[in-house]
Amino acid sequence: MAGNILADRPVYVVGIGFHRYQRNSDATYVHLGLTAVRAALADAGIDWPAVETAYTGTALLGMGSSRIMLSRLGSTGIPMAQVENASASGSTAVAQASLDVASGRTDVALALGVDKPRAGIAAGPAEAGIENLEGGTIVPFTHFALLASAYLDAHGVTPEQVAAVALKNHRNGAHNPNAQRRQERTLDEIMAEPISGSMTRLQCCPVGEGAAAVIVASDDGIDRFRIDRSRAVRIVASATRTERLYPPGEGIDAALTAETAVDAFDQAGVGPAELDVLEVHDAFSIEELLYTEALGLCPPGEAASLVASGDFDLGGRCAVSPSGGLLAMGHPIGPTGTGQIAEIARQLRGEAGPRQQPAARCGLAHMVGVGAVCVVHLLVKD
Amino acid sequence: MRVGDPPTIVGHECQRCGRCAFPPDPYGCERCGAGVDELDEIELAAAGVIHAIATVHRHHHARPETPFTVATIVLDDGIALKAVLTGDVSAAAIGSRVRGVAVPWETADDGTEVVDLRFEVADIGRGASG
Repeated sequence: MAGNILADRPVYVVGIGFHRYQRNSDATYVHLGLTAVRAALADAGIDWPAVETAYTGTALLGMGSSRIMLSRLGSTGIPMAQVENASASGSTAVAQASLDVASGRTDVALALGVDKPRAGIAAGPAEAGIENLEGGTIVPFTHFALLASAYLDAHGVTPEQVAAVALKNHRNGAHNPNAQRRQERTLDEIMAEPISGSMTRLQCCPVGEGAAAVIVASDDGIDRFRIDRSRAVRIVASATRTERLYPPGEGIDAALTAETAVDAFDQAGVGPAELDVLEVHDAFSIEELLYTEALGLCPPGEAASLVASGDFDLGGRCAVSPSGGLLAMGHPIGPTGTGQIAEIARQLRGEAGPRQQPAARCGLAHMVGVGAVCVVHLLVKD
Repeated sequence: MRVGDPPTIVGHECQRCGRCAFPPDPYGCERCGAGVDELDEIELAAAGVIHAIATVHRHHHARPETPFTVATIVLDDGIALKAVLTGDVSAAAIGSRVRGVAVPWETADDGTEVVDLRFEVADIGRGASG
């Protein structure tokens, strides 16, 4: 049964790098990916030959994208593979790289998330040959608009209180040079342009292109390559779960999140009260409320009041989506989960500049993806 | 669905564990793993209660025309599904009783009239399935 090899052989984030998230451009995925990996190598202070395995988190690039990118750093012949896990692809790339290091297979591994948006994405659930009554009418923004509808009704929360999540995350994203949306917004601007239910355009994440890279290493790797140990951030838990059957009408995303969080907290021996910083799958504003509750930061129905009171702001009890989250930093799919880990590592190092959560020591990264899957990582700075 | 008056919804019931599900699954039972040969077709009343509701303003296809309203509906048989609402949607809210109605959708190449199962607020005065 599920043991935690991360407890037996510690794994640390030692290098992070990005290509900023942006609208689809003429840039090739090779350029995007290499930009992030070169930045991560420089951040770690190591050269490419130190990296012993590589995983590319991508949902959209198609077959065989890793080597054509990474060989431009030198054809070292190391094992590489693409990792596809829907929106959690980049998170799963980090999980696989961490597993390689924790198992002793390697001392230094790369997780890279990279994607470019494209039309006509093939998705497993839609191609499973199971007919329903929805006929393509329930796209993601409407799936979450329905969850918002049930949440507003159950807890007496207003649409404006949900929109306040997007207000906060745009404020954070304005301080993130890698964010796709880097502009503070007013509540009036956020409430404009209805898309579905109470969800408006700025309460839905932009899907663009970009890349994020995370290099992980063991204690041996840190010693062997003389990596700066003072900047290493330990990954203390890596949990992945898939959807089970839940009662009719219950939100699967939050139920799955709660189960995955229990696994992660159990692995690490920490609890939600110890979190200083949190990156969640806030593809739609309502999700941040659902997931902060599912992760145990507060009882059901109380997250909106914690957003209003500033508890989830930078400088508050637990900074949520300091990067700007998916809402402002963006959701280029493959990079998103990897980028969350990089943001948490940056926060725990104390290197996040104007969006630094003071004295951040413990952080959590959370992604869900269609299917449904959920991936949670916990990071701690000693 | 089965077009009748009122229309009904076709789902399945697992012989092994008793789980009822919609849509009917061509592969197996998601609870106990029984094969498709152990799933019996069942007819479910197209009647239930709105659990969540949203008016859609942006859609990637020409039909249904925006704005249209969708709902998560918990059927009286305890199964949740999502469907498009029809009729007087301004009367629809969380907790509203709804029932299925067959709405003309298109005429197929062979002349067959294709209908779409949607839900409308059940007028208690009219009784029927709702």
